[in-house]
Amino acid sequence: MKNFQIKAFFIATIIIPLMAGCGGPPQNNPLLMEAERAYSQAESDSLIVMKAPVALKEAEEALEQSQQIWKEKGEKDLVEHYAYIAHQKTKIARETAQLNAAQDEVERAESERKEVLIEARKAEAIAAEQRAEKALTELQEEREEAEKARQKATELADRLSEMEARQSDRGMVLTLSDVLFDFDSATLNSGANKVVNEVSAFLKEFNDRTVQIEGFTDSIGSAAYNKDLSQRRADALKRALIETGIASNRITTIGYGEEFPVATNMNEAGRQQNRRVEIVISNENGVVSQRTE
Amino acid sequence: MRQLLLLTSFLFITTACASTKPPNDKLTQVESTIQQAEQVGAENYAPLEIREARKKLAEARELSAKENYEKAKRTADRAMVDAELAQMKSLSEKAQKAVRQLRESIRVLQEEIQNNLDKTENRS
Repeated sequence: MKNFQIKAFFIATIIIPLMAGCGGPPQNNPLLMEAERAYSQAESDSLIVMKAPVALKEAEEALEQSQQIWKEKGEKDLVEHYAYIAHQKTKIARETAQLNAAQDEVERAESERKEVLIEARKAEAIAAEQRAEKALTELQEEREEAEKARQKATELADRLSEMEARQSDRGMVLTLSDVLFDFDSATLNSGANKVVNEVSAFLKEFNDRTVQIEGFTDSIGSAAYNKDLSQRRADALKRALIETGIASNRITTIGYGEEFPVATNMNEAGRQQNRRVEIVISNENGVVSQRTE
Repeated sequence: MRQLLLLTSFLFITTACASTKPPNDKLTQVESTIQQAEQVGAENYAPLEIREARKKLAEARELSAKENYEKAKRTADRAMVDAELAQMKSLSEKAQKAVRQLRESIRVLQEEIQNNLDKTENRS
C-alpha cells in the first residue's frame, strides 16, 4: 500500500512532467489552440501570405507571445489575451488579403469594362456602316426600279402613239374607223388583222392592262338596231383578240349605238367619224374609267 | 546582492509605473478606430465585430475608472483588434460587392452588344 503511494507520487512528480517536457509544452489552452489553428490555416493560404504579409506578421507575433507566456506557465489571462489578439489579427489578415484582391479585381474589371465599351462602339460603328450600306443599296435599287418603270412608261407611250392612240380624260384611247367592218356588218374584214395584232401585242407586253372595247354608229337607222350593231362589232373585235391569246377577262365590251357622237351626223364626213370602235386602255391597275356623260 | 536589489526595485518601479497610469491614449485610439469603422459601414458589414469593440471599450473605461489600469489596457488592446477587424471586414465586403457589380455590368453590357449584333445580322 505504501509502496503504491510512493509509486504514484513518483509517476505524478517525475514521469508526467518528463513526458510533457518531451512532447513540448502541453498545448491545451483552448483559446490558444484555436488561435494556432486559425493562424496555420492563414499561413498556408498563398493569397494571405502575398496580399497581407504585415497583418499576418502581427498575428504571428501575438501568437508567439501567447505561446511564450504559456510555456513559462504565465498568467492564463495573459495567454488568452494574446491568443485573442493573434486570432483577431489572423482574421484581419484574411480580410486585408480579400480587400486587396478585390481592389486588384476592380482595376482589372474596370479596364475590361473599358475594352468592352470600345468593342461595343466598334460593333455599333460596324452596324451603322452596314445599315448605311443597306440603305444605299435600297436607294440604288429603288432608283433602278423607277428607271425601269419610266422606261416602260415611255415604251407604252411610244407604242400607243404608234397605234395612234390619243390621251383622253379616261386615259389612252385608240380609235378605229369603220373601215374594219363591211357596211352593216359585224364581221371584221382582212384590213382589221393589222390592228388586232397590234392591240394583241400591246396587251401581251403590258399584261397589267385591260381594255374596254366600245362600239359606236351614226344616227342612220333605228337606235336599237344601231346599239345592237355596235355591240356586235365590239364583240367581234374581242373574239379576234381572244383568238390571238388574250384572256377574255381582260376585255370588256359595250355597244353605245348612236350615243356619244364625236361629229355631226348631218353630213357624210361627220357620220364617217361617228362610225367607230374605241379601245380604252386601263391604268396599270387594270381599271378602265367609265364614261360619265 | 545590492545589484540584485537595485534591479528588482527598478523592475518593480517600471511595472508599477505601467499599471499606475490610466491608458487614456489607448482608449482614445480605440475610440477613433471604432469611428473609422463606423464611417466605412461597419454597422452593416461587420455588426458583431463593431458591437464587440464597443462593448470592450466600455469595459476598458470602467476598469480604468476603477484604477485597474493593467486590465483596462489589455481590454482596450482587444477592443482595438475588434475595431480593426470591423473596419477591414467592412472595406473588404464593400470592395467585393463593387467587384460583383462591375462584373454584372460587364456581363449586361456584353449581352447587349451580342443582342445588337444579332439584330444587325438579322436585318442584313
